[in-house]
Amino acid sequence: MTRSRVALLLVLAGALLAAVAVTGFVSARPADLPAAGAPSPATTLDRLIYDAQDTLRREPGNAPKWALLGAAYVERARISADPSYYAKADGALRTSMRIAPDDNASALIGLGQLANARHDFVTAASFGERARALQPATPEVYGVLADAYTQLGKPAEATDAVQRMLDIRPGLAAFTRASYDLELHGRRDEARAALERALTAALSPDDVAFCRYYLGELAWNAGDVDGAATQYRAGLAVAAQNVALLQGTAKVAYAQGRADEALAAYQTITTRVPLPQYVLEYAEMLAATGHAGEAKAQFAVLAAQEQLYTAQGSNDDQVGAIVAADHGDKAEALTRARAEWDRRQSVFSADALAWGLHANGRDAQALEYAQRAAALGGPNATYSFHRGMILAGMGRRAEARAALAEALAVNPHFNPLQAPVARTTIASLEQGS
Amino acid sequence: MIIAGSTLAATALALLPGTASASSHREAPLIAADPYVDNTDVYAFVSPDKPDTVTLIANWFGLQEPNGGPNFYPWATDAHYDINIDSDGDAKPDTTYRYEFFTDNTRQKDTFLYANGPVTSLDDENLLFRQYWRLTKIHKGKSELIAKGQAAPSNAGAASIPDYSKLRKQATYPVGKGAQTYVGQSEDPFFLDLRVFDLLYGGNLKETGQDTLAGFNVNAIALQVPISDIALNYDGKKNPVVGIWSDTERRSLKLSPGAAKPNGDYVQVSRLGNPLVNEVVLPVSLKDAFNGLTPDKDATIPAVVKRVTSPEVPKLVEKLYGIPAPKEPRNDLVEIFLTGIAKKAPTLDGKPAPIQADLNSQVLNSDANPKKFQPSEMLRLNTAVPPTAKPNRLGVLANDFQGFPNGRRLTDDVVDITLQAAEGAAQSGKIVQALAAGDGVNANDKKFGDKFPYIALPNNNSVNTAANTQGSSALPFVPGGTGTGLPTPSILTGLLAVMMLGAGGVLIARRRPTVVPVGA
Repeated sequence: MTRSRVALLLVLAGALLAAVAVTGFVSARPADLPAAGAPSPATTLDRLIYDAQDTLRREPGNAPKWALLGAAYVERARISADPSYYAKADGALRTSMRIAPDDNASALIGLGQLANARHDFVTAASFGERARALQPATPEVYGVLADAYTQLGKPAEATDAVQRMLDIRPGLAAFTRASYDLELHGRRDEARAALERALTAALSPDDVAFCRYYLGELAWNAGDVDGAATQYRAGLAVAAQNVALLQGTAKVAYAQGRADEALAAYQTITTRVPLPQYVLEYAEMLAATGHAGEAKAQFAVLAAQEQLYTAQGSNDDQVGAIVAADHGDKAEALTRARAEWDRRQSVFSADALAWGLHANGRDAQALEYAQRAAALGGPNATYSFHRGMILAGMGRRAEARAALAEALAVNPHFNPLQAPVARTTIASLEQGS
Repeated sequence: MIIAGSTLAATALALLPGTASASSHREAPLIAADPYVDNTDVYAFVSPDKPDTVTLIANWFGLQEPNGGPNFYPWATDAHYDINIDSDGDAKPDTTYRYEFFTDNTRQKDTFLYANGPVTSLDDENLLFRQYWRLTKIHKGKSELIAKGQAAPSNAGAASIPDYSKLRKQATYPVGKGAQTYVGQSEDPFFLDLRVFDLLYGGNLKETGQDTLAGFNVNAIALQVPISDIALNYDGKKNPVVGIWSDTERRSLKLSPGAAKPNGDYVQVSRLGNPLVNEVVLPVSLKDAFNGLTPDKDATIPAVVKRVTSPEVPKLVEKLYGIPAPKEPRNDLVEIFLTGIAKKAPTLDGKPAPIQADLNSQVLNSDANPKKFQPSEMLRLNTAVPPTAKPNRLGVLANDFQGFPNGRRLTDDVVDITLQAAEGAAQSGKIVQALAAGDGVNANDKKFGDKFPYIALPNNNSVNTAANTQGSSALPFVPGGTGTGLPTPSILTGLLAVMMLGAGGVLIARRRPTVVPVGA
């Protein structure tokens, strides 16, 4: 790919993304396919936002309406993957707080949701606790707390929050969080059951898509390619342009030996929504299929994005640390992994730090964190792979082989570059070389 | 390939909205609203054509847009849809009619289609998605299965369902002796301009007059039972007053490990007795708590009681329109919302009841023990008041004692009544003329039937089409009725369930399925 093509791609991505931001994914449903539910959420959310703005033009002192608008922007950002709404949300929520600084639980909940979305989990937990003190019977309070405590590495507090949410308002928002909590604790069957209940409580195509995607992910992460494909397909039947579901089918295509189809899909996905996760997966898939030049171009896109995030003061170092460890500056990987760990001691940041230490040859220390990453008990092929490579680096051959075999047993398709590495490493460990 | 110092890329990326987020964590849905189990309205009236029976109608899942299909609106299968009766006044159900649903979608096979051709009967093979219900009566600690049946499907458009009335007839089942029930879709019988409170606050009621619910459907349960079935000691003569409310429970889930079954208890997620309690009485901060509260606890929550004895609306009206707010504590509203109207209504502060009439408090039942009476929010109906030939939309305020707040008929204009009651009209007996136009919507856009289940057939046209939007414009005496009937985006304010009352920050939200973040 040439430099001009990259630039063109980026401009194109901007235009498409803007289009997505404006329209949502509404128009995507084929006319002959029924939806499982009611009016498109994008439309409903559009109306909500439009109306709140309309009211606020007449009544700029309406604090609850500002809170509502702010929270609607956060939800819009989540659904559309368009974070430009975060700044708008921030403005609306702070206006609400300025007008009504006391007893404004609605604004506090919105601010908590926003902080979670921005990866600032400590702040989110703090807003959540303030909101809980004011309105302990409001389910959204516990959504904020569950999300924050999960990411902060406080599993007991997270589980408590999810259980409380379930006991106040057993529904979509609670069941989806219950599923994640169960999955993290390795209780996959129950996690699936919880998501199936979430699915029956989902109404909008986006909500149905969310449930189908994570049902697919549960299957995928257990190596069940066909099961995953079924779920992704079922989701696309109601939300044909949902990017997460397209990513799911792309992974499936690759696992089923249709690499060209997978690469074409990833090109579309990364053009439409250039989230780092998607760009990284695309780059790795390109690299794994011998498209070294194009892979390099995608890594360059990723690096450019990283610069921007840093410039904008983003404090999400977790993905950056892993990317740097695998494809970039090893010292930077460790610095960033350490920074993430200092902020939150979760299984996620433990894994990143383990991998950052390993990249710098500090396997003995790395192992400690790799074991912490496995603490909750949920099987995770990537974490097992990391642990296996660390053990291999320490010369603990049998354990290394076991961990790598576990990674492949959990999901033989967990990563297009690393799954082959796991296999060759096992072979070399067995040959004693 | 070379990317020159990535400056160019960075410049291009800076234009992207997507670049500020590098979210590497799962983001689950933020909104906890749950339309499937959300009560919208409850009606209770002596059946006009069968005056020895009472008709109870409870609606859920509001704002269903017919949209000409493909949308459909199922009942939740992990929920209890309950209609409760309190005949002795202790705020606990003496009888609960509980509907539970299960789905048969085996005919869908690999499609997601609701129907694959015209559906002319409930067992039509073209109907691929079917829901069945069972009705359990819970009375004196005993549960008894009293009926089973099939729910009428969502009206998926004229092509799929050429004659809905036929399906509704088939979906109307006898229940034991003298009772019957219908479960299925209905046109939303509630008529109002949802913007009324918004506009009231804005000091401008001139823009009201549109039935903002015209064209939408709901899921309805209608149940007609002999009065003696629900009266205290089965004696409607001696004990004519019953309290009625509906609630919905959804089954929770237990995270604690080791449980053989992951399912948890059924949790009350929604309740509804009197109309407009969520809109007029409760502030947003109490809404979630109230929906989880059982009526016997209502009077134990000072914040709830205070919203009745010291309501927000009259204060706003005083500020904006100069109409003096009635003196507090508002024991007239305590009678309407919490005790029922009776000369000896047990007001919370022990003062004499201001509305000196014996109408609809359970203390009027001969066999009720007044010492066990517990004030609570529910709809109260004196079944001894005979049906009137010509119901007045203003009910009790117009000396038509068969209407709201004595129960609630489909034609009762509860917005205007409640607005007047908030201004003290029930106590003074005088309509506050400055607010007499109310919300400007005086009747439903669709005609009600004269036989069970009385509600209108569900709409099958998109909400924005003329066929569904005669609205208030077709009615005489509607101030401000503009006649277009077409909801504009701003009208959707109300539809989206967000109304604001007062600089004090009283957010009032109609319990409708909406995108309402943060507990609004």
